[in-house]
Amino acid sequence: MSARYNKSFNRLKESGQKAFIPFTLLGFPDRAQCLESVRVMIESGATALELGIAFSDPLADGPVIQQAATRVISSGFTVSDAFELLAEIRALDSDIPIGLLVYYNTVLSRGGEEFFRLAGTAGADGVLIVDLPPEAYLETATICRKFGLASIFIISPLTTEERFKAICNYASGFLYAVSRLGVTGTEDRHDEQLASLIVRARQCSNLPVCVGFGISSPAQAEKMFHAGADGVITGSRIIEILQDHNSRNCHGLATFLTEMIATAKFFPVASCCQ
Amino acid sequence: MISTGLFGKYGGVYAPETLMPALEELETAFLRLSQDAEFLTRYTGLLQTYAGRPTPVYHAANLSKIAGARIYLKREDLLHGGAHKTNNALGQGLLASMLGKRRLIAETGAGQHGVATAMAGALLGMETEIFMGELDMERQHSNVLRMQLMGAKVHAVKSGGRALKDAINAALREWISSVRDTHYLLGTAAGPHPFPTMVKFFQKIIGEEARFQIIEQTGSLPDYIVACVGGGSNAIGMFTAFLEDQSVELIGVEPAGKGLETLQHGATLIKGSLGCLHGMISKVLQTSDGQILDAHSISAGLDYPSVGPEHAYLQESGRASYEAITDEEAVEAYKQVARLEGIIPALESSHAVAHAMKLAAGKGSNSRILINLSGRGDKDLEQVLKYVG
Ligand SMILES: Cc1ncc(COP(=O)(O)O)c(C=O)c1O
Repeated sequence: MSARYNKSFNRLKESGQKAFIPFTLLGFPDRAQCLESVRVMIESGATALELGIAFSDPLADGPVIQQAATRVISSGFTVSDAFELLAEIRALDSDIPIGLLVYYNTVLSRGGEEFFRLAGTAGADGVLIVDLPPEAYLETATICRKFGLASIFIISPLTTEERFKAICNYASGFLYAVSRLGVTGTEDRHDEQLASLIVRARQCSNLPVCVGFGISSPAQAEKMFHAGADGVITGSRIIEILQDHNSRNCHGLATFLTEMIATAKFFPVASCCQ
Repeated sequence: MISTGLFGKYGGVYAPETLMPALEELETAFLRLSQDAEFLTRYTGLLQTYAGRPTPVYHAANLSKIAGARIYLKREDLLHGGAHKTNNALGQGLLASMLGKRRLIAETGAGQHGVATAMAGALLGMETEIFMGELDMERQHSNVLRMQLMGAKVHAVKSGGRALKDAINAALREWISSVRDTHYLLGTAAGPHPFPTMVKFFQKIIGEEARFQIIEQTGSLPDYIVACVGGGSNAIGMFTAFLEDQSVELIGVEPAGKGLETLQHGATLIKGSLGCLHGMISKVLQTSDGQILDAHSISAGLDYPSVGPEHAYLQESGRASYEAITDEEAVEAYKQVARLEGIIPALESSHAVAHAMKLAAGKGSNSRILINLSGRGDKDLEQVLKYVG
């Protein structure tokens, strides 16, 4: 339910902290290790989770997530498996907000009604459909509301005022701002218009703004917080770590998460330029 | 967006937010320039003096003799660059330069669209980069060399099936990173709106000329029109002028690869189902989980697991029908046209010829079939010799 998002972000706001949202693909590198990695994320103190369902042609993703998706699909891990794993993850923690990140064909092939029902039942709180813009969102918005799912949207430095209005009309949970034009990846090269993007987002919406794409170190997270972000999302870096540590030992992941979360928790809000 | 870009329930704009502003800018520019006298004068000027339009309609008497029906070929193989792709590349290239973009990127399968984009880039003084599946770079090697000679940089795409679908993914990803100064010159009537409509606008001259030419030569409309369908640009370019002529049967030909009963084909309209790929709703070849399958065809230009949305619409409405031709039948037609007419057709176009020859059997010599010979087949020679063994 989107209520979990509101609760978590309100709590952070009261305590003056920033959000850290780790991303991974459901079923990566396999079912057991995925569950274990998500357990580490929750135990490290992640604000929320962003979990992707692997798609064969992820056109907003760079090589790291593309290759991970290919690996998940060729291991035989299906969309039904993803929902089952999601339910197990929900059972680990009843409070943490969980967002699903999907491509529209994954939704279409089940039918929207069935897909969002399954997502809601398994314990998701929101969905981000990478390639479904507000122009085509009307029907999906109704179904998401019916199943209590937040509609999370991406905003970019090029998003126009008109588009902001259309997006804010549907958006809930939080706004996902991309740090730069480009696909996902660990490359650090944030757009000089990022700060003004966050200011513009504030003008049209009260939702928290979290920044993703290319955030792979505490230093980068700090830059985003300085630019006014309420939180950061890290994906490709986490996938890289999980790739390297293919033993059941999630130590590398825990170390990275602890650093990122400490940065988010102790960022001095007074120094923020918003 | 100003319009929805829908053809019935197909088409639309299903793109990440990072691309939407670029698609809006492109739609606005297209709507303005497609009515702009100066743009249209420059475009038609280039088509005539640079590219060699109009291309002729030729009565293929030798093919007709063994076919039964009268066979006519719309000779897009004679267009500069060797295929219909030039019509679109010049149009979009000109539009991009008037928009102030300094760089062109494009995908290519057979390499014909890459060649056409490289030509446009050289002509208009724009930096050009082409994305091509590694598999296609092998089987259409001569076109890689042509692109490079004209100054384009060719990137080998190594993901997925290393063919057209993967090249489009790579080009779209590159565009997401560079929308501010780069135009993505998509080569077929597919992808997010406004591409299907814009590509049709630049290709519909094929049918407009052909309709006039065949009436001039024969005194009436043809009974059948046959064109091959990869993404669907040469077919929609040919069909559009005849859509209102109810007596004219429109037939698109998909690649049956190693057979429709196998998984190795690219017959999306015949065997696919509703899906979303590359920014559009159309038919796609997919698993029950919505994972996109790799297509197969001997012809790199038809090797695509989706299709332009207007074809899905024309199929559903019944205005056009779609058939499929195997690799083997296409190679047979390739050799037949060469031997009987002294014309080497592209393997893509050979699919259309092969179907037309089947269709002609038993129709009688009063029946007229107009084939869109979308390109020339020099590029396929090695590939055909290898296939024949
Ligand atoms: C000669 C020729 N015909 C047809 C095609 C298929 O594309 P479309 O269906 O867009 O015409 C190609 C694509 O590369 C081609 O080179």
